[in-house]
Amino acid sequence: MPPKGFKKASAAPNKTLVLDNGAYSLKAGLVPHTSVNPGYDDCSVLPNCIARSHRDRCTYTSSELFDCKDFGELAFRRPVEKGFIVNWEAEKAIWEHEFMDDTAKEGLRCDPTETNLLLTERPNCPKQLQSNCDEIVFEQFEFAAYYRGVGSTFNAYHPWNVDSVSALPQECLMVIDTSYSDTTIMPIYSGRLVQAAIRRLTVGGKLLTNYLKELASLRHYNMMEETYLLNEIKEAVSFVAPSMQQFSKDLERTWKGRLGDKRILDSTIVVDYVLPDYERSIHGYARPHDPAKSRMRRGLQPLQGPREDLLPLGNERFAVPELLFNPSDIGIQEAGLHEAIMESLNELPDALKAGMLANVVVVGGNSLIPGFMERLENELRPLVPAQYILDMRRAEDPIKHTWLGAAQFASQPDLLQQVLVSKAEYDERGSTWLLKKFSGKD
Amino acid sequence: MPHVEVLPNSASAAAPGWHYVVDTGYDPSKVAFNPKDRKRVAARPGGARGENELSARQQTAIARRIAELDRDNDMKQVVTVPGKQAPAKTQNARRIIQYQRQIKHWLDEEEALLQQAPPPRPTAAGARTGQTTRRQSTMPQTPAEGTPGPAQHIPTHIGFHGDAENDVDPLLSIQSSIPPPLKPAELEALLSAPPLSYAESHASPRAPGGPRQRQFCDNCGYWGKIKCLKCGARVCGLECKDAHEATRCLKWA
Repeated sequence: MPPKGFKKASAAPNKTLVLDNGAYSLKAGLVPHTSVNPGYDDCSVLPNCIARSHRDRCTYTSSELFDCKDFGELAFRRPVEKGFIVNWEAEKAIWEHEFMDDTAKEGLRCDPTETNLLLTERPNCPKQLQSNCDEIVFEQFEFAAYYRGVGSTFNAYHPWNVDSVSALPQECLMVIDTSYSDTTIMPIYSGRLVQAAIRRLTVGGKLLTNYLKELASLRHYNMMEETYLLNEIKEAVSFVAPSMQQFSKDLERTWKGRLGDKRILDSTIVVDYVLPDYERSIHGYARPHDPAKSRMRRGLQPLQGPREDLLPLGNERFAVPELLFNPSDIGIQEAGLHEAIMESLNELPDALKAGMLANVVVVGGNSLIPGFMERLENELRPLVPAQYILDMRRAEDPIKHTWLGAAQFASQPDLLQQVLVSKAEYDERGSTWLLKKFSGKD
Repeated sequence: MPHVEVLPNSASAAAPGWHYVVDTGYDPSKVAFNPKDRKRVAARPGGARGENELSARQQTAIARRIAELDRDNDMKQVVTVPGKQAPAKTQNARRIIQYQRQIKHWLDEEEALLQQAPPPRPTAAGARTGQTTRRQSTMPQTPAEGTPGPAQHIPTHIGFHGDAENDVDPLLSIQSSIPPPLKPAELEALLSAPPLSYAESHASPRAPGGPRQRQFCDNCGYWGKIKCLKCGARVCGLECKDAHEATRCLKWA
């Protein structure tokens, strides 16, 4: 038996835990080096939170939330804030629960000392947090080797088409990541981030959910504790108006009218969301607005049929995601997404600008809101000089796309070996050196 | 100049420091510092707030609201990590695990560190000029090819150059749409530029000449056509005004 602390001089182990550590969900998967082509199916999406319910007095850690039956008044603790891992106490508990303990799923369980870790992060991370992360990975978890890189840069390693497996990254790529914490615009040249041109908007999925929560609580019931439910409602009913003009028209159609000049709400837009009661149903659903039901609710008409709680949603459906394009609607002093993209592009020389515009990829959960891509294209096209090609597409699975890019990177041993840092190297040279190395200045 | 002398009589008391002055008209510097005549404030130059300017109270309320919407964890709800925790393996790891700080503390700390010691920037990097100018000019720059003018002749070494020369019609020429080639030095400077800090990476606000900020009803979300006289928030009609005054009016907040 080798003495304690003995490290074999052999190369890094041949499997890699690829971890896209998002604020809302962890995207994780073990990628062996010999894997032909990792796909979306190799990725598990797990909630990155610890939740506590006052009602059944249970605490749910990450994937235990899938078994939860009562989402009422669920309080969340999220270790990742604004995209950066801040609270390591909770993050450690989640990682241990999902990857190391007996509770871990079979495909994800690994022994850190025999695994490489490829961890993604958001750009513009405070250095202190980066070095905390490095120290925990090596000193607490003792991964055999590790690389930390900005998640979106791995998107460049997606092959151009399905057949080609090229080790070279795409040359010009513009990633728009509209995620839970914020929306980031990142131009990438040959797999390297153009740092000076990164722009971010405060508006992300979290802000949209909280805004909807505030509006629903102001206009209907107090739902300030029902974050989970409102997130579900947001995902179910919200849509982006295709243009500013259509936004005004929709706003007109959902207005209740003045005193003495009441208007009938347009039931093609206004929906009633049937709230779950957590006894007979766990999830709610939306259906077209029925004025008789809302009169019943207000006691103007006798009750008929089974009792149900309805949340009427009119302009909330499109005014909430509208914040992505007009953050100033609630007073955020930032330009809209399309203007921020142009601001980012203006930092680049013209040749790069043309290249970036011809290859724009949108990732992140907010891009799943219906109408998002159409609106973004409608807003961006007039701002782009006419002779430039604008080719913008949403990733096939915007949530797992960054993970898949990273997995494709990890499945190519020669690429991976260039960037990995082994534990022995860290022990010898320390975290300050590692911080410099990962920021590309060694 | 006529001679004026105040004769002592029973009606006028000789108060110390009392004397006549020459009236030279309205002098703004002599006006009381905090005038109470609020109704006339608009008549004074630069006195009134513009149509769309917000009062300090409104600005505070908006800033607080955005911070609330953008908050990750609720400090009032304490969720403890369940089960028994594996002990930290090193002193350093224990210290990091025990941090109870939130993201704003880390961001503030980073700002403070940057203020203290500005990091050495690469000399004359393209990124540096970009960084310093971006807060001043929010107008998107018009690209050189976008402006109509004499077709610039750009020496390119692209394969189809020969075909383009045979083209007689300048409108069909693709010469003007090909941007000038990249300079390797410029590209290298751009790629090796240091990352911006978190605060610097935010998109800048809209240019002031652009479309006006849209105003919505505080209660129902329709256009905010009427301003609440008490607090300046917008409402859409009488019904919403009553609801606004009952719940959200900032007058007494």
